[in-house]
Amino acid sequence: MDIYLPIAEVAVNAPLIVGLGALVGFISGMFGIGGGFLMTPLLVFFGIPAPVAVSSMANHVAASSMSSVIAYSRRKAVDLRMGGVLAAGGVVGAFLGVELFRLLRLLGQADLVVSLSYLLFLGVIGGLMLMESLGAILRRRRGEATPPRRDRRPVWLYGLPLKMRFPRSRLYISVIPPLVLGAFVGVLSAIMGVGGGFILVPAMVYILRMPAGMVVGTSLFQIIITTALTGVLQAGRNQTVDIVLATLLLVGGVIGAQLGARASSRFRAEELRAILALIVLLVGLRMGLGLFLRPDEPFVLMSGMG
Amino acid sequence: MAVAVPASAIPPPEALSPPPATATVAAALTDANVRVTSDFRGARIVLYGAIFDPAAHPSDVVVLVRGPEQPVRITRKQRVFGLWLNSRPVVFRGAPGFYRAASNRPLDDIANFGVLRRLGAGVDHLAINAPAEQTTETRYGVRDMVVNRLGSDYYDWRTAVVRLKEKAHLYEEDEHGVRFVDRGLFRAEIALPTGAPTGVYRADIILFQGGKPVSIRARTLTVEKVGVARALYVLAHDRPWSYGLASMAFALAAGWAASAAFRRD
Repeated sequence: MDIYLPIAEVAVNAPLIVGLGALVGFISGMFGIGGGFLMTPLLVFFGIPAPVAVSSMANHVAASSMSSVIAYSRRKAVDLRMGGVLAAGGVVGAFLGVELFRLLRLLGQADLVVSLSYLLFLGVIGGLMLMESLGAILRRRRGEATPPRRDRRPVWLYGLPLKMRFPRSRLYISVIPPLVLGAFVGVLSAIMGVGGGFILVPAMVYILRMPAGMVVGTSLFQIIITTALTGVLQAGRNQTVDIVLATLLLVGGVIGAQLGARASSRFRAEELRAILALIVLLVGLRMGLGLFLRPDEPFVLMSGMG
Repeated sequence: MAVAVPASAIPPPEALSPPPATATVAAALTDANVRVTSDFRGARIVLYGAIFDPAAHPSDVVVLVRGPEQPVRITRKQRVFGLWLNSRPVVFRGAPGFYRAASNRPLDDIANFGVLRRLGAGVDHLAINAPAEQTTETRYGVRDMVVNRLGSDYYDWRTAVVRLKEKAHLYEEDEHGVRFVDRGLFRAEIALPTGAPTGVYRADIILFQGGKPVSIRARTLTVEKVGVARALYVLAHDRPWSYGLASMAFALAAGWAASAAFRRD
């Protein structure tokens, strides 16, 4: 059953797109991430123009994050204050990111920057996560004790001014690192069509040293605010949000997310991280591969005459 | 509505070939207003025509359909330090958004290169051009964008434009697109692909005798998209902010609704 996407101006197979939404939603609910990093490349692979895929993803990520965050907030696993500071940075980042993406599209270098960002960020994050989680799994198999976690937070986290109390996370740190982190993720959300959970979650654990129980819910909260803004800005500035595409995706996505959130309790945390790391790494390498292989068709028609 | 082409548009007949000027062609579109629905199936332009020629010379008919002009921005992947990167985009002017050359037999058999080139008949003869001088302009806030003039590479770029448009089924030559259904009576059918632009199209119906165009008729038609998809497209472009806010509100509400539906108390 084909359906015509009015903004993307292509016809797609509706059950296929709903299925994709469900698959990515499942992964998203399972790992507590938006899943945009996986969905955007898949959409491009199925023939959706990249600018439309990147922009419409914002709607889908916002919807599936909304669907999961409510469950976390009932368990009081959302640090609203930390989420608010991250989101404040995210708002600035989203504005910058949408303008940057617009400029890159006009320069004709959007796909280069998208591929490079995927290769760089997904490659590094996926690699680090894989090493860390495999280490944890091996240690448990051998029956070794977990090495004592270096609970000493980096000095610079305390040295910075503008300190704030985050009672839920039991933190008293400067607001500058979360602001910068939020802004960075906001830019990525506009350029890569991702929520940024795959960067936020490790950064909140390893840099901000938030309690593990708070991390996923808080990152989802920040992702909702950032992607909601990105989605509106992309529609307003670039006219690239396809509501039909976003709806098809989120129908599958919200259902998949609920199922994924339930499935996640059956796995150990480090096993989940290892699987996620593999997925992240593979997507990053696949996206980067195009930069190194000789293209079949050296010429590319470009959309967006301005 | 019949629009006769001014005589100056018809190439002057050459002295050595005397096809009688009495032969004329007439044509009509079954529907001058093509409405494309969102499923986009079955959108086609159908045209009937007749040849009036008392001498009954052997005749060929070529139908050229051109969509509204859309400048083409094209880039070429180049290897830089081992990476394949996009070159600076090049803008081609004069490219129709849609092009079909339908004929009753291959164009090269109907007329010679020069005649086809003058009429713009066939994808190789489209007037996609690059003016003689190289100009760099500031466009869309981007400096030093090369407009036209590509030196010796020009041919590669031009064929790439046509090749990519053909791949999207926007440009095509159909050497069996015109069928004679009876003596002097022909029918042409032109299918519109999903990506066909909306707007005013022009169909030129050209009668060839002895390799020379002896009569030309022009018809205009309007292609418009209708239905929900079109309404959304118009809304997204005319009121982008309302559209963006509404679609995001819808997304958030859907996420909330799903969570409520799956809640286990």
